[in-house]
Amino acid sequence: MVYKKDPVPFLLFSPLIAYLILFMGIPLIQTFILAFTSPQGPWGNFERLVRSGEFWVTLQNTLVITGIIVPLQLILGLALALFVNQRFKGYLFILYIIAIPLALSDVSASLMSYTVFGYSGLLNKALVMTGLIEFPMYFLGRHVQDRAFWVIIITEIWRATPLVFVILLAGLQAVNKEYLEAADIFGFSKWKKFTRIILPVLRPSMMAALLIRTLFAFQIFGVVWVLNDRGIPVMAGEAYYYQTQLHNPNMASAYGLMIALVSVIISWLYLVFFRPKKYEERGGLA
Amino acid sequence: MKKVLLVFVLVGLLIGTVSYGSVAFISTQFHPATEREFFEGNLLPAMQREKGIDIRFLPLSYEEANTRIQAEQAAGRVIVNLYGDLQSGFDLMAARGLLRDMSDIKFPDRTFISTFEYYAKGHGVTQFIPWLQATFLMVVNAQAFDYLPAGLTRQDVMNASPKWTYDALLAWAKNITRGTGRPMVGFPESTLGLWHRFLHGHIFPAFTGGQMLKFDSLAALDMWAYLTELFDYVNPAGSTWSAMSEPLLRNEVWIAWDHTARLGDAIRHDPDRFIPVPLPAGPAGRGYITVLVGLGIPKDAPAIADSIKAIDYLTSPKVQNQILEVVGFFPVVEEAVGIIPEGPMRSLASAVIAQSSAPDSLVAFIPGLGARGGDFNNVYRTAFQRIVINKEDAARVVKELAPQLVEIFKDVQAPIPQPDAGYYQ
Repeated sequence: MVYKKDPVPFLLFSPLIAYLILFMGIPLIQTFILAFTSPQGPWGNFERLVRSGEFWVTLQNTLVITGIIVPLQLILGLALALFVNQRFKGYLFILYIIAIPLALSDVSASLMSYTVFGYSGLLNKALVMTGLIEFPMYFLGRHVQDRAFWVIIITEIWRATPLVFVILLAGLQAVNKEYLEAADIFGFSKWKKFTRIILPVLRPSMMAALLIRTLFAFQIFGVVWVLNDRGIPVMAGEAYYYQTQLHNPNMASAYGLMIALVSVIISWLYLVFFRPKKYEERGGLA
Repeated sequence: MKKVLLVFVLVGLLIGTVSYGSVAFISTQFHPATEREFFEGNLLPAMQREKGIDIRFLPLSYEEANTRIQAEQAAGRVIVNLYGDLQSGFDLMAARGLLRDMSDIKFPDRTFISTFEYYAKGHGVTQFIPWLQATFLMVVNAQAFDYLPAGLTRQDVMNASPKWTYDALLAWAKNITRGTGRPMVGFPESTLGLWHRFLHGHIFPAFTGGQMLKFDSLAALDMWAYLTELFDYVNPAGSTWSAMSEPLLRNEVWIAWDHTARLGDAIRHDPDRFIPVPLPAGPAGRGYITVLVGLGIPKDAPAIADSIKAIDYLTSPKVQNQILEVVGFFPVVEEAVGIIPEGPMRSLASAVIAQSSAPDSLVAFIPGLGARGGDFNNVYRTAFQRIVINKEDAARVVKELAPQLVEIFKDVQAPIPQPDAGYYQ
């Protein structure tokens, strides 16, 4: 055995193994056991899940939110990364400002958003003070679910775009300047340099950012719950609801596994369709 | 086997712990450290000085207390001679014949709220003497009184007069919306709010006389029609609120319903602006949820004279007010309100007493459903969502959901709580 000859490497990674077993492995096994335990047999919870209209609503809401925020975050994150990467005077200050939401939990960010979009919030105060509206508007509440939806989208974009930004900025800084200088010699336009050099080189970073953000978007919960409760139910929110309000850990686990399943499928699709070509992995041109 | 041994050891230890002194008092209340410290550090020494009795206090869970009292009676050696618990706990013990009939114990110098005296009886005995209560109320911003509907006065609302009804609330809400342009009635409708308690324990009894037995009755359909109309004047942001103090303080609502503990901040912040008032009455009565705590004596308990002295002390207006200040439980004797110092606590206690002593008062107790409590709450929330918000046909929805309630109670084998239980008495 390798560890008998030299136990140091084993000892070094044993805390990680213990951590993974304790905090990931055992809960995962328990989740499987709970999800496949019901009076109707092992598939009872899943049958109840897919037969209930609520599951399909939560799946649809989660997919729609993910489908809107992830592309927007990618575009916005890329634009900000390109902007900051110009390294103009004071760019570090701008970088820090953009990165501030990284330090916020989703609940903190949601509460800050509530102080803006609430009935007595800053946005209403500004709109009333400037005379654009006579009375404050409702942006959140049971009768304005369409507005609440966009408040959730705006909050989530503000909260999570910095993660995409940081990943893409790191990717941009890895672009070999010699390629750009060569492109200048060949008379490439700015657009051509962007599409033919920067984007291909950035593709692995973009895939990492997309993957991370999509997986996190499928777990969206805090922002939706703080701002709109179950008005727009999402999958992770329903798992929480079953666990804490209905005291049904079996159904909560079934929801959890469904989130994991959808996440795995999406990750696989990303890996298949966005796999970097060989020259992109090397960070160079063909 | 290990569990049985553990219980015996525990019971033995408990007997050992409280087997001295003239009053051995076990209670399912006053468990938290701060409450226990107040009870043992302040109340009990004062009682010893004033009443000359030695008292030993031991807070236990319901299961432990029940085991203890049953074990003592089975062994023929009863030591515990004072017991404090919720109404539901007393009811279960009385059903097992474990309690002494308290009907001969009177305290002529105080007026217990008659509603609570009524619910202290059951299974052929007076199970306990009412001790403390916690409940839900409405809080009104003083500005709202400018919009009272014709024929309804501020005093009617504050004193729970027969004119203070759900119809009056609707008329009032309409007036406010017409006057201000805003819906100013509010409820904590979010998942973490107690909105389901309003549905099953307040408006359902007020319209139908019960919490669940008349879930799909014609009276229930009237209630849903009423609620649908009321919600045209209810602040829609309520779906994001879990407690009503903040919306009151932000001036987003003028009439709010919630648990007293969740309204306290607003009332303490500005007691002149925020006025606690009783719930309105419906066609079947003034329905509201109460958590009722009582004091009882186990059957065959020794030194009953000392137990009665202790009950006399603990239910005195002075002590009830001390408990209100520190723990937040409200008094159950009418004389207590008169001696509360002016301020937020007095206004809260006045509203609580006015509500519970109203002639049409209709108490609802939260059913003890354990882990299925969430399913029970969910039935009412689902009905509300589908009928009031989604505008589905109420008759079809209640018919569809009623079997779920029956299934929950059958599954848990839970006793039907008041006021529904009254139909079987």
